[in-house]
Amino acid sequence: MSESRILLHAKAAGRAFLLPVSELREVVPGVPVTPIPSGPPGIQGVVLHHGEFLPVLDWGVVGGDSGHAAPPAVLAVLRPRLGLPLEGLAGTVETPEGGLNDPPAEDAWRPILAGLCRLENQDLPVLDPDRLLALLHRLRKVR
Amino acid sequence: MDPSFDDVWAECEDLFVQARQRLATLKSPQPPHVVQASVNALFRTTHTLKGMAGMLGFPRFSQAAHRMEDIFDLMRQGRLRSTDSLIETLEAGIQALESGLTELRRGRPEPEDYLHAIRRQLGELEALARPSEGAVLDLTGLLDLPPDLLKALSEYERTRVTAVLLAGIPIQGVSVRLDLATFDDRLRSISEAAGAQGELISTLPLEMHDDRDGLFFLLLVATPALETEGLGVLPEENLEVMALADPDRVPASLKADPGPLVAPPPGPAQAASDSPAALPQDVEVLRLPAQRVDALEARLMTVAQVRDSASLALRGIHDPSLARPMAMMGEIEAGLLEVQKALLQMRMVKVESLFQRIEPMVRALSRDMGKPVRLSFQGGDLELERSLLGRLTEPFLHLVRNALDHGLESPEERAAQGKAETGSLKISASQRGRNLRFDLRDDGRGFDLARIEARGIAMGLLKEGQVHSAEDLHRLALEPGFSTKERASQISGRGVGMDVVRAEVEGMGGDIQISSEPRRGSLVRLSLPLSRAVIACLKVRCGQQTFGVPLNHVLRVQSSLAPLHGGGRIEVLGRDLPMESLQACLGLPEPAGGQQFFVVLRQQGAAAEAGLDLALGVDEVAGRVELLLRSLPELAHAPGIMGGSLQEDGVLWVLDPEAVMGLAMDSLMKRVADV
Repeated sequence: MSESRILLHAKAAGRAFLLPVSELREVVPGVPVTPIPSGPPGIQGVVLHHGEFLPVLDWGVVGGDSGHAAPPAVLAVLRPRLGLPLEGLAGTVETPEGGLNDPPAEDAWRPILAGLCRLENQDLPVLDPDRLLALLHRLRKVR
Repeated sequence: MDPSFDDVWAECEDLFVQARQRLATLKSPQPPHVVQASVNALFRTTHTLKGMAGMLGFPRFSQAAHRMEDIFDLMRQGRLRSTDSLIETLEAGIQALESGLTELRRGRPEPEDYLHAIRRQLGELEALARPSEGAVLDLTGLLDLPPDLLKALSEYERTRVTAVLLAGIPIQGVSVRLDLATFDDRLRSISEAAGAQGELISTLPLEMHDDRDGLFFLLLVATPALETEGLGVLPEENLEVMALADPDRVPASLKADPGPLVAPPPGPAQAASDSPAALPQDVEVLRLPAQRVDALEARLMTVAQVRDSASLALRGIHDPSLARPMAMMGEIEAGLLEVQKALLQMRMVKVESLFQRIEPMVRALSRDMGKPVRLSFQGGDLELERSLLGRLTEPFLHLVRNALDHGLESPEERAAQGKAETGSLKISASQRGRNLRFDLRDDGRGFDLARIEARGIAMGLLKEGQVHSAEDLHRLALEPGFSTKERASQISGRGVGMDVVRAEVEGMGGDIQISSEPRRGSLVRLSLPLSRAVIACLKVRCGQQTFGVPLNHVLRVQSSLAPLHGGGRIEVLGRDLPMESLQACLGLPEPAGGQQFFVVLRQQGAAAEAGLDLALGVDEVAGRVELLLRSLPELAHAPGIMGGSLQEDGVLWVLDPEAVMGLAMDSLMKRVADV
């Protein structure tokens, strides 16, 4: 994460965060999520995306609000075909020089973060999709 | 690889499919004109392959295709007889080219000689077809035609005239006068009709010195008799049919000569007098990038979603006058499903296509190794995605080679063990839940587990002194570089293969398992996920959720006067079956008042006395439905759910019956443990 790159500035589960644009397939308007009976942990359900079922993340997996009640405003579709329900988008930013800082140990999102990015006097978490997928796979195994 | 060549690769694949079909036609007795049409098509196919390989920059492939083209050319000229061994050689050649193409597409370098395995046979064929010293036999002089017309016949047409006359088939002439404005379409139509009745040797333009308008043609057709009505010639086209050559005029000394110019008919006189066999049709193939079909499917899905929203809005109005629009919505739904099914069909091929590729290989190996084998296939009618077919062929061929090389014993060894001298290889396909399952069973010696264990220890993969289960040892055979053959055989045992098979199958999201019993045989099982399928289901409701139960697992549907509760037992047709509610299987809240319906499930393919039957309690049975099933991606896998289908009222989840039966047994055992 040391090289400069474009990051999507988004908000989900009540928290602003950054996501490398290179990890995104596309961003689409949110639609209601269909829950799966006895579905896996960390997945709130699926939506139909380009004719296929797309799993949608349940932010409850990292202590956030599951947000099942209302459809997400926006859905960020990751390259490994996982939908991230977002509350909103603030735009894109370029990674400032200086690299990322470690998130604090008590941060519930720590297992899915690449680090913290200093931006306009605030530390924003940078999501690491690989870590997120690894977490989901771990949860499936322990079920 | 340059993506702009994708169409060329795809066309090559289609050409191989056509070649296999034509070769399959040649394997059974056919009238001479059908044989000739197939050989001509194969000649054109190899010719096209040669050109395409040149375009793709593979000169050695081009050379190999050219050599095969030469063999087909010799056949179509009647210089080679169609025999079983010739067809086997040709099949092996086409197979070698096809495998070579697959390797090239994976970026492998060109081999020295694609046809090295059949080099000797090809040399013999070429030597056999070489004209003997002296003049080439030409019987065109027997045609009752003026010399200038005879001169117009090409070399190929001359060899065909000679061949059919030697084969005892008369040649008929069909003369027609065609209108200048439509002659091309009319000539094509009449030629096709004549070709269906016999071998169309030539279509000669005629110069008529009279006052009639139009263009005149003479068709030379090799057939004992022509049905003029079947030619579809219009009254004003002045049809004339004439006998042009009688095989009885061929000198007896030439008829007795079994020389190289004899045509390849199996029982020619009889076959030709039979009603003409159906010629494999040259169907126009429309090639499309898969992405276009994807985009069309996605668009269709969006339309379906709009339709669902409109339907919901209409239902919310509660106006009796909207009954007709609601019915029309139902018609749109049915139409959309039809289109979706048609799109799905475009991607699918029958498993039979895979079997067709395997069969010639097994026969050739069986002969080469001196191991007679009884090969049987099952489940050829099932369908799999075209993209999987191409990827599965090589793994299958490797597994088959392994089964014959290592699995099946020699006839002497089998006889000494009290087995039939002919070995058995059964390849079956079946749909299991969201997977397509392939089983390859042989009745050979089974895997040598002691040897595998020793080899595993030698390779450092196992620890000496530890107990290793049969499952672990079988699994070891799938490890990279693992082979118990100390010396590579010509056929297999080169230390590559099984791990490549595993990698290929796992790359498709599938799984491979091996099991065997000493002296009783081996089973290799491949499971591949189906991403989409059209499936007939029983619709059942539990709480607010509707589910589909694949009908091929449903044995019976029944209601009960008394409320049913999970964990009990129920008598169905004199059998006492365990009963569990679907809710309990899926971890959903069970209805306090019990349930009134149950569905008896049976494991697919299981006999009544051997399989597990289970009564699955549901709240309501809502009828039968045919739907387009979409698999759930791995991240969304849920136990007991095979996939889903978008319906008017949301997603209908389709149950995986075998998984549900497993969940039911778990749930029943938990109930017992709680007690």
